[in-house]
Amino acid sequence: MAEQQETRERWGMVVDLDLCTGCNACVTACAMENNIPWVGEEEAGYGRNMFWIRVQRTWEGEYPEVSPAYQPVMCQQCGRAPCEPVCPVFATVHSEEEQINLQVYNRCIGTRYCANNCPYTARSFNWYDYTYQIPAPMNYYLNPNVTVRRRGVMEKCTFCVQRIRAGQEQAKAAGRTLQDGEVIPACAQACPADAIIFGDLSDPESRVSKAARSQRGTTLLEELGTQPKVTYLKGGGYYGG
Amino acid sequence: MSDTISRRNFLKLSGLSAAAAVLTGCGPAARYVTRRPYYEMPEYAVLGESTYFATTCIECPAGCGLIMRTFEGRAIKAEGNPAHPVNHGKLCSRGLTGVQGLYNPDRIQRPGKRARRGNPTLEPLDWDTALGVVREALNGAGAGVAFYLGLAPDHLYDLVLELTQAIGAPPPVRFGALGMFEARATLVEAVRQVFGEARFPYFDLAGADVVVSFGANFLETWLSPVAYTRGFSQFRRTDGKKRGYLISFEARRSLTSGVADEWLPVPPGTEGQVALALGSLLQSRGWKVPLGAGQVDVEASAAAAGISMERLEQLADRIARAEHPLFLPGGQALAHAGGLVAARNILLLNLAAGNMGRPGGIFLSPSRPDSGSLRDVQALIEQMRAGKVETLFIHGANPVFELPPALGFTEALANVPRVISFASFPDETALQSDYVLPDHTPLESWGYQRTLAGSDRMIFSSLQPVVVPLYDTRATADVLLSAGKLPYNDEVTFLQSKLATLLNEPGVTVEATEIATFWARYLQAGGWWTQQAGLTTPTNQPDLQVEMAQGAAAPEGQFRLITYPTHLGDGSGANRPWLQETPSPSTTVMWNTWVEVHPQLAEKLGLKDDDVVRVTSPSGSIEAVVYLFPAIRPDTVAIPFGQGHTALGRWAEGRGANPAVLLGAQLNEAGDLAYGDVLVTLSPTGRRRPLSRLESRAGVYGEH
Amino acid sequence: MKKTLPWWLRPWVRVTAGLIVLILLGGAVGGIYLTQTVPQQPIQFPHNFHVGAGIPCLYCHPGAQWGPVAGLPSTQKCWGCHQQVAKTKTSPELQKLVAYVEKGEGIPWVPVFIQPEFVHFNHRPHVAAGVACETCHGDMKKVTVAQPIPRQNMGWCLSCHAKQAPEKWTRLSDCSLCHY
Repeated sequence: MAEQQETRERWGMVVDLDLCTGCNACVTACAMENNIPWVGEEEAGYGRNMFWIRVQRTWEGEYPEVSPAYQPVMCQQCGRAPCEPVCPVFATVHSEEEQINLQVYNRCIGTRYCANNCPYTARSFNWYDYTYQIPAPMNYYLNPNVTVRRRGVMEKCTFCVQRIRAGQEQAKAAGRTLQDGEVIPACAQACPADAIIFGDLSDPESRVSKAARSQRGTTLLEELGTQPKVTYLKGGGYYGG
Repeated sequence: MSDTISRRNFLKLSGLSAAAAVLTGCGPAARYVTRRPYYEMPEYAVLGESTYFATTCIECPAGCGLIMRTFEGRAIKAEGNPAHPVNHGKLCSRGLTGVQGLYNPDRIQRPGKRARRGNPTLEPLDWDTALGVVREALNGAGAGVAFYLGLAPDHLYDLVLELTQAIGAPPPVRFGALGMFEARATLVEAVRQVFGEARFPYFDLAGADVVVSFGANFLETWLSPVAYTRGFSQFRRTDGKKRGYLISFEARRSLTSGVADEWLPVPPGTEGQVALALGSLLQSRGWKVPLGAGQVDVEASAAAAGISMERLEQLADRIARAEHPLFLPGGQALAHAGGLVAARNILLLNLAAGNMGRPGGIFLSPSRPDSGSLRDVQALIEQMRAGKVETLFIHGANPVFELPPALGFTEALANVPRVISFASFPDETALQSDYVLPDHTPLESWGYQRTLAGSDRMIFSSLQPVVVPLYDTRATADVLLSAGKLPYNDEVTFLQSKLATLLNEPGVTVEATEIATFWARYLQAGGWWTQQAGLTTPTNQPDLQVEMAQGAAAPEGQFRLITYPTHLGDGSGANRPWLQETPSPSTTVMWNTWVEVHPQLAEKLGLKDDDVVRVTSPSGSIEAVVYLFPAIRPDTVAIPFGQGHTALGRWAEGRGANPAVLLGAQLNEAGDLAYGDVLVTLSPTGRRRPLSRLESRAGVYGEH
Repeated sequence: MKKTLPWWLRPWVRVTAGLIVLILLGGAVGGIYLTQTVPQQPIQFPHNFHVGAGIPCLYCHPGAQWGPVAGLPSTQKCWGCHQQVAKTKTSPELQKLVAYVEKGEGIPWVPVFIQPEFVHFNHRPHVAAGVACETCHGDMKKVTVAQPIPRQNMGWCLSCHAKQAPEKWTRLSDCSLCHY
């Protein structure tokens, strides 16, 4: 069977903060998809949660005009990622193919340099064998498409690369190219407000490209020159109304 | 010298054990894994590929459609059913962690009998004996049999209703914590009074342009949170229309108030007055609001609610300018002594806005709500206390945990000779039961669920087993049918006979003329629903008037208590480790119970973050940890509901506190718990217990 | 006055240390040896005979043409042919198959061509690209019970990926092709 012509996607994400309600469904969805272990109350108190995506809540103003701002933050899949050059064993590498940052678990030796260098604190470290402590039969729901990480390994959001691969594979097997919206990460799939849009930024007509061009668009800490692939659309009713 | 020897011995020993570990760890057993392939491969199975099954989420009564991903016979992940009219492929945290219920290691694995109530060990029972017990109970005096069911509008309720009619027992009592916090009975009663039919209302958020929420936390738990979040998303979008504007009256800035464009922290219980004042102001702007004969004192109402007249006038202007204003009566506004009046006032504003059955307006669900109020539960407790209940069947609810102890359910239970629980998990109520005959968990079950409150159309959402039942459990419907009181062989026969009424219905997604085809398509599609949106349009315009509602400020030294359900739902989510670990959105606290206290109040009382404080109400007291919350009225404190379990497995037990202890037993006019009127005092204990929270982590590794 | 040797020069210390090193080395060698041994299979399945009889690989391992795993045949698939084969009644190995059929159980095979859990391999693109089964799995005409082939590691994967068209190299050398 003839393979389709190689296409090169540039995966990106847009988070509409005006639609985001802060409900944390994305956090749970991500955990259930990516075999992310829970760490328990005490470990969570030490800040050792394994979230690949977290919803940051900040307060603005004074009572009674005080208002929360919610922002889901995951790995921004930087074009020039600060985590990559500091890894001594090349476990944190850039994917030329998918234009995302990869974490190769079997290479990682747990120096945690990458986490220290990440301006978004998007990386989490397996301080213990959290996943292997899941009591049977609860381990039955672990996703076979995602590696179960061991102690001493760094991990982070992958843009659900297993879903990207599965989508590409499916399209190839059917002899066609990927359609916009065919690959969705778990967070965007679950988001009840549909505030997370995922897709191919190299296609100007894709939903994510159109959303990323919005006037409300901004990227996190862009002054660092990290070239993030995640665009946030400002909320709070600063427009229209 | 002895030092050297012991050290050497240690080294030798460790060397040996390392070698032993290497030898055993590297054997073929470690490297190779046995695979047991199918004996006979099912037709639908494709090697190495996932199989997807459509079913329904019954983690809460909303009934969202699920597509379960299964792999080699295991349920892997819950995904939303994109075609389902309630959730359109979306899910909340609770639904997503459904697999942690299915594979929970603390599940009750086989039927059992308890020698003594409260004793955690269950003596195993075989199903024949268990069915004998059920048969005997149902053969006894019909009036002595009582059923206590959860809120889910499912087939089991229909079956139990038929069963109780057949044996002459009283109809099942349905209650749950979520209904209690939403004050469902008050909502339905107000709808009955205003629109003439006792139905659940459906509010079309998507079509509205200004939404005024009176304590409706519709983004988190209210009625059908995923459906309403979807509606909110449409409401906020600007594709070809104006961005929706959300105004929220609520004493605490909940998730919903958090995204509101305007938040007005009114004292709990004054929402009805605010509605009245707004009605009066809107009348002067040309609205036809049925104001009462008496003079409405707008200024007094505004003062009671702590809103300036200027602000109220501005709000009225904005609402009057809107094309589709919508007013939501939420649980926080209804669970007061004057709750029914408040609910009526808010619904009458909808009536005045001409919202009946128009886009961006209010519709009525065609299904009967059938949900009980706390008054029904009280009546049952009275019967139990008087010794008139011989057998109590409990399914889908955990009244020992959920109900305020002031109602005396647990004490009344002692007068019931036989308590039979169908719980899947060892919860507090199962612990107080004589027999536990575990039902399958939802992902192992057949069934249907009618949708009451979260959809623009009529739905029978389907449930089918996505995995083979893990343990020696049995469907409660089958257990009840085994007594032979109803003319159905088993659960599926019952389901099909009920669904047969839908055959040949016009304009449906599943069209079939005979039940076998209907059944197959119904399971595959995830349910039956009409093609076109269509709900009842409320028409009745009774001679009702907006009334003055009660509402008073808290006396000095006492504070109003807000108890609100979180993503742990009615508390049954507390045994899902990932629900425990998912942070509370507004506080980012995980795994515990906290008391939200405004920093000003905390300063006055000398309280700091993480201080353990004793919260005392006339009904009881609990200890919880102080969380300084800037977005709550300084005369009000809030405690989330769902923790404080004394049973329910390793992740739930002994964690946090149960605020139900504080709630008392005062009911409002519609028979719902007036939990919003509870006053509490805070007293420091001098102890501290740091809460695990996400917010300390953002930026740097936290200081905790 | 006898001068005491420093402890690390005492002969029995050195003998003990040597023994420990030997035990560790022996353990390591033994462990590595054991990982390379062939696991016990429930039935001594003769691949050579089945392939020799002209049965295509994909008849029993059909997953290879459409998905990630080739799969192992169900008991009923074996039985489909074997209930008509006269030898089924006489051969002692085949009596084991009969036993599994009678019990209604799957046969607990032990796959030998395995990769660690952090490697995600997919058969389909390889089969689609025309890679023959024996390229990776050896000539099954020559083996009875399937034998693992040593050193099927990442270098071995890449050595073949490197021989593909140069424009495919970015894709075929991408870490996330197999590791996620």
